[in-house]
Amino acid sequence: MSEHNPSTHNHDCGPLDCRVVLEQLWEYLDGELSEETTLLIRQHLALCSSCYPQYDFEKAFLDALSDCRCTRCAPHELRGRVLDALRSAGFSATA
Amino acid sequence: MTPEEQLEYDRSFEQEALPWLDDVYRFALSLTRNEADADDVVQETFLRAYRSWHTFERGSDARRWLFTICRNAFLRTRERARHQVELEDGDVEAVAHNVGQNDGAVTGDERILTRLDLAPALSNALDRLQEPFRSAVMLVDVEDQSYEAASTILGVPIGTVRSRLFRGRRLLQSMLANYARDAGFATAKTRPEDASPATHE
Repeated sequence: MSEHNPSTHNHDCGPLDCRVVLEQLWEYLDGELSEETTLLIRQHLALCSSCYPQYDFEKAFLDALSDCRCTRCAPHELRGRVLDALRSAGFSATA
Repeated sequence: MTPEEQLEYDRSFEQEALPWLDDVYRFALSLTRNEADADDVVQETFLRAYRSWHTFERGSDARRWLFTICRNAFLRTRERARHQVELEDGDVEAVAHNVGQNDGAVTGDERILTRLDLAPALSNALDRLQEPFRSAVMLVDVEDQSYEAASTILGVPIGTVRSRLFRGRRLLQSMLANYARDAGFATAKTRPEDASPATHE
């Protein structure tokens, strides 16, 4: 299986080399980089067929993690318990 | 406080704080790993939040504020001799440095993972992920908090959030790779650090 070796990969994908892009991939996906760096990485990914699969994998992984938010809700009994505790503390707005 | 002011106080709390109960519950559960304990922490969180609602800056992020209270409520419920395994920040930084964020190659494991239905395995892996990595992953990846917000909630520097987050993600990916192999997918090349993630805990 052919794998991408960023230390030896050498092609014209813009001013950033592959290792720099891969090192910042998570921060790029998290939206934590500067506008300038974000743009450079976006340009690199658009041109680099070697880095894109890594980006694709990490994005799918983070999307799946984000989806975990939809699968866990507070038990109904807990809502009642919280409201009862709040009412004991003087809360009165909810029906 | 006049009755009218009290009513407005309660209404604003109901509209701005109570809708985040599910989110606070998920975060509390990630901290306690126990539903009964999570229930207690959530109740304590909303009681504290209600009593100090007058200090909440209107228009700011109520969910982030509640997460911070939740984290503090959790810490206060912990006994000194807790069983939770926590690494000192320096160790975490060292581990994260050794592992690296992305070492470059899309391995065979990763290609397999893209073909799996990740939801059940990922949920299980999240349950098994240890602190302090779990809180960072829950806040940033599940609850969509920024590094800066997670830093405030957890009371640690942003660099520590980043280290814990990246290490936590790698540990999750390692667990998923094991799940893929157990599920009968062909064995694939594994990163050196994936071979024994428990040694880092």
